[in-house]
Amino acid sequence: MTEMAATTPSTTPGRWNALRANLPTGWGAAATVALAWIALIVASGIHRADFLSHQTVLAVSFTMAIVGVLAVAQALIGMSGAILDLSQPTGLIMSAAVVAWLLERNVPIPLVVVAGILVGAAWGFANASIVVLAKLNPIIVTLATNFIGGAVMFLVYQNAQAPLKSSFSDFGRSYFLGLPNIWWPMLILILVVGYFLPRTRYGRHMIAVGGNRFAAQTRGVSLKKTRLAVFSIAGAIVGGAGVLFACSNGPFAPTAGATFQLPVIASVILAGCSLSGGRGNVWLILLSVGFLSTVPTSLVFFGLNSNWQAVFQGIILIVAVSIDGSRTKRTQR
Amino acid sequence: MRMMTRRTIATMVPAVLALAITGAATGPAAAFKLGMAVGGEAASNWQKPQGEVAAALAKQRGWEYVELSNNLDAAVATKNADIFIQDKVDAVIEFNGRPEVNPVLAAKFAAAKIPVVTYDISQKGFYFVGIDNLAAGIAGGEGLGKIAKEKWNCDVDLVLSSEGAGAGIVNEWRTGGMRTGLQHICPDIPKEKYISFEGSGQVAVAAPAARDVLAAHPDAKKILVVGLNDAGVLGAVQAAVQLGRGDDVIAWGQDGAFITGDNVDPHLAGSVLYFLEGYAVYALRDVIDPIAAGNPPPMKDTGDDPASKVKPCPVTAEQAKSIPGIEERVKQLMAAPAGTTEFDLFCPKS
Repeated sequence: MTEMAATTPSTTPGRWNALRANLPTGWGAAATVALAWIALIVASGIHRADFLSHQTVLAVSFTMAIVGVLAVAQALIGMSGAILDLSQPTGLIMSAAVVAWLLERNVPIPLVVVAGILVGAAWGFANASIVVLAKLNPIIVTLATNFIGGAVMFLVYQNAQAPLKSSFSDFGRSYFLGLPNIWWPMLILILVVGYFLPRTRYGRHMIAVGGNRFAAQTRGVSLKKTRLAVFSIAGAIVGGAGVLFACSNGPFAPTAGATFQLPVIASVILAGCSLSGGRGNVWLILLSVGFLSTVPTSLVFFGLNSNWQAVFQGIILIVAVSIDGSRTKRTQR
Repeated sequence: MRMMTRRTIATMVPAVLALAITGAATGPAAAFKLGMAVGGEAASNWQKPQGEVAAALAKQRGWEYVELSNNLDAAVATKNADIFIQDKVDAVIEFNGRPEVNPVLAAKFAAAKIPVVTYDISQKGFYFVGIDNLAAGIAGGEGLGKIAKEKWNCDVDLVLSSEGAGAGIVNEWRTGGMRTGLQHICPDIPKEKYISFEGSGQVAVAAPAARDVLAAHPDAKKILVVGLNDAGVLGAVQAAVQLGRGDDVIAWGQDGAFITGDNVDPHLAGSVLYFLEGYAVYALRDVIDPIAAGNPPPMKDTGDDPASKVKPCPVTAEQAKSIPGIEERVKQLMAAPAGTTEFDLFCPKS
């Protein structure tokens, strides 16, 4: 595991604790989520054998794709100590709307993709600028900008849609190696960010700021620059999610991004990424997103209607936040 | 303190007098003031034009026009009613997608003696202008049934209902009505083939929910989709396409939001157009104009006996090709002679 933590948890006597101390940090969260996921799959498979089918894999992986990308961006924000970016839904849809608008005007697809990512980056930079310049709480700022951005988009358009008969839309509904095309960028992003975050100077700065910003500042790390960079990079990732959303969905309204907010936050917390900053392993997002994306599909196989999904996701979020809180307390001790 | 009081009085007296004189001067000749509470549900492309058409028609008549958005929220709708009352509007048009609060609004407006027109959702004491949602649902279901009979001889594996529980009785009328209409044509589809899921009338909500339902029915090859509106139905279509089963699906929507234009999903076989953006033509022609002229019409507050009835326009995707998109429709409606409806202008005659 390539966990990056700003503060090393203290060890306590005992064989078990000694063994645990020698394991890479984050293994506990990984093992818990992996076991829960396996148990869910096994239980669903026993209940109904046809759960273990390619159709289920497709349903789950389509759900994973955009949630996973957004979760990486949210994890970066959380690990850097900015807690949460609540403006992700607006950033996602703003990017997707620009993508649809450009495609309607026959702009070449590579340029459209770049534009979508840049729109997200600009949105992240705008958020960071307000946070840094006005010295405001990132949660409050992004909550407000989410409302503002959504309202402005509503003034501009009601529904956007990428042209159905285009290679862009074809990409969004096609597969590679039996999995949706849009799933693979998520996998690559998680692997790349998870690898480089603890191994690059910028990545370490980001986590150091999240762990203890005063200590980081005394070491010459600029809080302002780091925050601007993190929000911009996370925004670019959200913009990338917007591109994937535009190619894989039909018509979408300015409010369409709201549906991702809860599973994204739950995935980040369940993956053990601390919202108070300084700790997290991006690779574990693959497990948490996979688990959370399997839950609604399983519920349908168990005959529970879709209203139960929100109930289960809410419960999982509460459990995850409780675990995160106890982890933080343990670390502070 | 005494100085401040004198100053305050010295400032306020002329101000109050000026306001009183202005009020007296403008009072009797003040223009008729129309309040419009638009639905505020961003997912529907007709909600904004619905207010724009009302504004344009009010302007044509030289009326004042005040528009507020209910934001698809009961508390906001209640607050908006208070604002209209404080603003002393002469009449109000309500499109309130949260009908549970309508009795509260009705009590407030009745106390203020402000007549109210409600679109599509009936409320005692409000003039009802709108579609018969149940009839529209049945018409859509029958349209889909005819295609299912022709293509599959009604031998259907699955009927998906993309519900929108938040719309309350309207959802029951439309989505349930579509199932009823389908049963009129294909009465032998077994009950267990009918599966509902919550789509909230949005593609982004309906698609993942429908994906799970389709995954749980891997053997279904002949699938029909009905729902609250076009967007909710398209969510199910999108899910089927993503699972490689797009060609197994025939869908029929409601509201016609995505059946016109040049980017129509090929699996959307038809929809029922209400031309919701043009409802103000009916409301003003049959209710508000007589009120403004001092001859209020008799109260008709039910869908069975409405103050003004909007005709549903069920169309196949093929027929819909001749119907322009919403922006062009609004443009042509504004250019048409007074009282002309979009049904008159655009609904295919055959």
